[in-house]
Amino acid sequence: MGCLPEYAELHCLSNFSFLRGASHPEELVERAAALGYSALALTDECSLAGIVRAHVAAKEHKLKLIAGAELRLEDGTRLVLLATDRGSYGALCALITTGRRRGRKGTYVLARSDVEVCAGSGLLALLLEGDAHWLAGHFTGRAWIAAELHCGPNDRAWLESLRELSSASGLPLVAAGDVHMHLRSRRPLQDALTAIRLGAPVERCGRALFPNAERHLRARVRLAQLYPSELLAESAAIAGRCAFSLDELRYEYPEELVPPGETPAGRLAGLTAQGLAWRFPSGVPQRVRALIDYELRLIAELRYEAFFLTVHDVVRFARERGILCQGRGSAANSAVCYALGITEVDPGRLSTLFERFVSRERNEPPDIDVDFEHQRREEVIQYIYGKYGRERAALAATVICYRPRSAVRDLGKALGLAPEQVERAARSLAWWDGRRVLPERLADTGLDPASPALERLVTLTGELVGFPRHLSQHVGGFVISRGPLAELVPIENAAMPGRTVIQWDKDDLEALGLLKVDVLALGMLSAIRRALDFLGMKMHQVPAEDPAVYAMIQKADTVGVFQIESRAQMSMLPRLRPENFYDLVIEVAIVRPGPIQGGMVHPYLRRRRGLEPVAYPSVAVQGVLERTLGVPIFQEQVMQLAVVAAGFTPGEADQLRRSMAAWKRKGGLEPFERRLVQGMLERGYRREFAEGVYRQILGFGEYGFPESHSASFALLVYVSAWLKCHHPAAFCAALLNSQPMGFYAPSQLVQDARRHGVEVRPPDVSVSLWDCTLEDGALRLGLRMVGGLAAAAGARIATARTAGAFASVEDLARRAALNRRDLRCLAAGSALAALAGHRRQAHWAAAGMTQAAGVLREAFIDEPALALPPPGEGEDIVADYASLGLSLGKHPLALLRPRLSNLGLLPAVAVHAQVHGSQARTAGLVTCRQRPDTASGVIFVTLEDETGCVNVVVWRDLVERQRRELLGARLLAVEGRIERDGEVVHLIARRLIDRSSLLGQLLVPSRDFHWAV
Amino acid sequence: MDESWAVVENRSVLVCNGAAEALGVRPGSALTAAWALAPQLRILPRDAAAEAGALEAIATWACQFTAKVSLEPPQGVLLEVAGSLRLFGGIARLMARLRGGLADLGFEGQLAAGPTPRAALWLARGGGETLQALPIGAIGPEPEALALLRRIGVRTLGELMQLPRAGITARFGQGLLRDLDRALGQAPEPRVFFVPPERFKAQLELPAPVMEADRVLFAARRLLLQLEGFLAARQAGVRGFTLSLTHRHKRSTVIDVGSATPHRDTEHWQRLLREHLGAIVLKSPAEAIGLEAAGLAPLAGAAPGLFGDARSEAEAWERLTERLQARLGGAVVHGLATHAEHRPERAWRAAGGVAGTDEMPPGPRPLWLLEPPRRLGEGEFVLLAGPERIESGWWDGDDVARDYFIAARGASLAWIYRAREGWFLHGLFA
Repeated sequence: MGCLPEYAELHCLSNFSFLRGASHPEELVERAAALGYSALALTDECSLAGIVRAHVAAKEHKLKLIAGAELRLEDGTRLVLLATDRGSYGALCALITTGRRRGRKGTYVLARSDVEVCAGSGLLALLLEGDAHWLAGHFTGRAWIAAELHCGPNDRAWLESLRELSSASGLPLVAAGDVHMHLRSRRPLQDALTAIRLGAPVERCGRALFPNAERHLRARVRLAQLYPSELLAESAAIAGRCAFSLDELRYEYPEELVPPGETPAGRLAGLTAQGLAWRFPSGVPQRVRALIDYELRLIAELRYEAFFLTVHDVVRFARERGILCQGRGSAANSAVCYALGITEVDPGRLSTLFERFVSRERNEPPDIDVDFEHQRREEVIQYIYGKYGRERAALAATVICYRPRSAVRDLGKALGLAPEQVERAARSLAWWDGRRVLPERLADTGLDPASPALERLVTLTGELVGFPRHLSQHVGGFVISRGPLAELVPIENAAMPGRTVIQWDKDDLEALGLLKVDVLALGMLSAIRRALDFLGMKMHQVPAEDPAVYAMIQKADTVGVFQIESRAQMSMLPRLRPENFYDLVIEVAIVRPGPIQGGMVHPYLRRRRGLEPVAYPSVAVQGVLERTLGVPIFQEQVMQLAVVAAGFTPGEADQLRRSMAAWKRKGGLEPFERRLVQGMLERGYRREFAEGVYRQILGFGEYGFPESHSASFALLVYVSAWLKCHHPAAFCAALLNSQPMGFYAPSQLVQDARRHGVEVRPPDVSVSLWDCTLEDGALRLGLRMVGGLAAAAGARIATARTAGAFASVEDLARRAALNRRDLRCLAAGSALAALAGHRRQAHWAAAGMTQAAGVLREAFIDEPALALPPPGEGEDIVADYASLGLSLGKHPLALLRPRLSNLGLLPAVAVHAQVHGSQARTAGLVTCRQRPDTASGVIFVTLEDETGCVNVVVWRDLVERQRRELLGARLLAVEGRIERDGEVVHLIARRLIDRSSLLGQLLVPSRDFHWAV
Repeated sequence: MDESWAVVENRSVLVCNGAAEALGVRPGSALTAAWALAPQLRILPRDAAAEAGALEAIATWACQFTAKVSLEPPQGVLLEVAGSLRLFGGIARLMARLRGGLADLGFEGQLAAGPTPRAALWLARGGGETLQALPIGAIGPEPEALALLRRIGVRTLGELMQLPRAGITARFGQGLLRDLDRALGQAPEPRVFFVPPERFKAQLELPAPVMEADRVLFAARRLLLQLEGFLAARQAGVRGFTLSLTHRHKRSTVIDVGSATPHRDTEHWQRLLREHLGAIVLKSPAEAIGLEAAGLAPLAGAAPGLFGDARSEAEAWERLTERLQARLGGAVVHGLATHAEHRPERAWRAAGGVAGTDEMPPGPRPLWLLEPPRRLGEGEFVLLAGPERIESGWWDGDDVARDYFIAARGASLAWIYRAREGWFLHGLFA
């Protein structure tokens, strides 16, 4: 072994050179380390998007990593640039930013002059193709010619010509590999990527494909045969000059939030004191005071003041604009954040101390996500851009990766399958089939999975899934820095005009300890703000711990309430019976895939009902789990368990948390299993307990909720529930005005409000505004409910009406400048009733506006009013649904009830009265089909009729057998067995019958019944 | 169960067969939804040209009943039969004949008779006896007009006729009232009559590829019936026709059927065709058949001399190729062109004439390759240059992984390679 040459690969592309590199950065690093390379330079094309992943992997495998990039200049010159120190790294980032900002999304434009500018920065250059004299002139002593030998037609002659170029230009030669994959076995995938890039089938790509698989990480023994030893030695020497590591990057917070003469710590302390005076006008409780002191000390020690100041500034802006917002995340539920107004969760209101705030040991950046009203978040984003400038503020990237369907589509085309076959193969992956391509699914669609082409498709898809495809913008993760951001990380154009993204995603930022502020959108905040506006209230004025609210929640009467309105949540509420705020915190966290898969839910419920004793294996564990009755429900508890019971350090526990989030994608929890179980056994815990904890960790996966998130969400749960409980009309109006959001369609929200005694009035041009409003306690639907009507037209109607009531449809059209299409929409929504009578007449009147010959304006013809026969009840209801998505008339099923009764189908209310285990038959409109991640292959269907809803469970085998009914039916009849747990009733389907044709009988034949679901 | 199929346009189902309906597919379903219900559904893209062809075929055939045939695309053919009723024994017998004839041609139709062309058309579309009761959709209004009529609750033609005329014009334009008046005979409707083509040419896509002669014959019968209608309208016959069978990836099979005297009788031609079909063996299944007949009048057949009138020296090369191809067979005389491929045996192609001007391969390539390469023993050659590694072709199941060398044996230069199976001689440099 001793005689193997040293080698550093200085030219290597990962799959972040989209559609070129055929290996993940981590794979390349691992392989280079295994081959004993002295270093690896990741040189993706004009990109550093993969460098952080490579960096993390390189630390793990103890391999030296060099940051670099391959560039193709406008004149055809191709070169590799390598960073030697922080300064040259910054120059590289800036150069990439320059090139990327010039190009369309996904492209870049660079000229020689751009490269010349950064020649003095310490960057090293390897020439791949182009003018050696030019490079030698600008990078004197820091440039080489890359000799890349791939068993071409005549490597010897090629090398000879490179030597001549070397002596003529004075640039020395160095061995390099132009690596595109970590193993030669990736050749088919690499060829396929080339084909996808060229948009042609691989068989037609000809010599655009590489002639062989030599562009992989080659063993050093092989390199020794191919290259003169001095060229290999040169690679290691160059690597030796590259001393930069990403670990050197230090994030610097913006400075401007601290007025001159003040320290960040002083500023934060001052703002916190102000906030406390505002929060606690009658004096700050001692407990809160102590918390604040502790937190401020910790913040000062870790120098996180600027972060809190930054978030505070954003929140302050939002508050001034009347935009409702709320923070969540590990640091959000601190007393400091409460004082600063970042969150509304009163630390005094929670009996429990939040353990995970910012940890001294882990030195991880604090995490605060701030949710804003979804319809006004853009104002906040523009504020941030305006305040810090685009040089210093940018959105984090989201790496869009290949998913099975997109992989099948692209690979299918690359393999030359017929478009129809490709579409079929892609379609075979139904939304509930998950991430795999199943041969049996292909067979179902008439494709032969055993055919060589399909076999290749399945194999390559397996490799391609998870490959990055392009960078998109993160929903709201802002990175803000003191100096130009472009010297920290390259910035490129996003698809949305005027938006830029950095080349790193949130995992990358987290791995480097860089800080971001998440500016997110939350529909419920819009709804809450609107409801509070109706009532003239502020959020903190909502009375706490109102028993009536909890009584409503316990009955699962929660349509429209934040988080606990989903079907899974609703079936949990009567079992969990939340009685106070902390119960809501648990409720929010427990009905999540994590706890459900980890098997936490039932033990918790049994213990809460007193059916099972609560026991702790030790006092330490009791300290961690007591507040959740011995069952770990929050992410923090799992980490704390690892610390107190298995001897993890806080840093290791944090690694465990990260691995929990990623193991479904990457695996890699096994080392933790050994340590965890071993650690617990050593500390005297029983193996059964230890393995149980590990199973719960596995179940948590990426879905565990931290307690702090749950607490922030629980507050919105409480506030929205309070609104629903005491002000159902205002709550419903606010929800309707904030659509689209939430779990329920307007129809269900309105039906629910009416069941709670709210009078709902139809949209009407003579009274309605654009938004829904309250009218003497009744809910008046706004013109926004009228399908197809433009907001501007709606606003004009309201404005024109202030000058006096409309006399006729013509008067309305003239004064509000409406066109024929606007009128048609209004007629369809029955909003012209006051002016034109029933819907048919309204349509006749609206259509009377015609384009007069030679005149641009539309005008009405002069004609007498026409009396048309009124529409039937069924026709009206169907038309209501078509335009408004809801009807204030009877439920369609009320009209069909006699026929349904003849068929022996029970209404929902009767189904709910059935005893456990009995057989029942019912039918209803399908309002929701759901396949929870946790339930393997089961589909939940919600049926609605005039008396309420029935929850149907369809098991996997029935899903397969009655796919057609399940997918196709709008009116579905179900036969099955009643399963009752207290007040929670499910119908376990045994047979499904599509009764959609009955809906057609409400109408004339041939007219389809479109549901706006 | 029958294979389910659907004709699709703009990713939604236009029509589908019974097997597809049984699975829940309906006209109007989105293609994706249809696939979810019937994963094996066979998709036929809508072919407007084929539809127009079918309509013309029917019209051509129908010319035997009246000279006044007109087309009402996409689905209607109108026959003015007032003058032919006596000849064909009254309307009922004529309609029975039309219905039977259509079925023989392989079509299903809805037939109706009316006092005006438009009334007949509407009645055929909507069914029923009277115009008053006709569903409004049958009059074929523009989609927007139809939608408005439905919105104001107008379902039948009778209800439409009760609306004020000025109001109708204002809302639906002049067209609707004009059509109504034409249907009622209150306004004239000039029609352009169909002019049958001069020569008969018809094509039929087979629902599934066919190997058996009797199934070809069955399909050809439909075309012969069309031919008969065509000829009857002209009171003419033909001395022969050409039936061509289209295969995938193969040249068509052409069958010439001739007869000493002119005929138009389907049975006669079918008998003759059966004999012809019996004499040949299909090498690959037929996917479509076509029938062409000319010769309603005799044609002068003057065949020019095959060789010997080379008019241009510039064409000499092509003439030579043609002559060689004519003498030796088309397949054995061809030019060479390079082809962009890494695998040497696929890096060239036969070309029609002179060699192509594609980019040349990157490395040294002998002009002459052995097909297949010849296996070599040890030590036959002295390696001069290489290796050039070629690994390519996984996508067609013929993946190669070879190291090529230029090697000498005596005075000749050879191109040899090493693969997993050993050493091979692949070519000789001239």
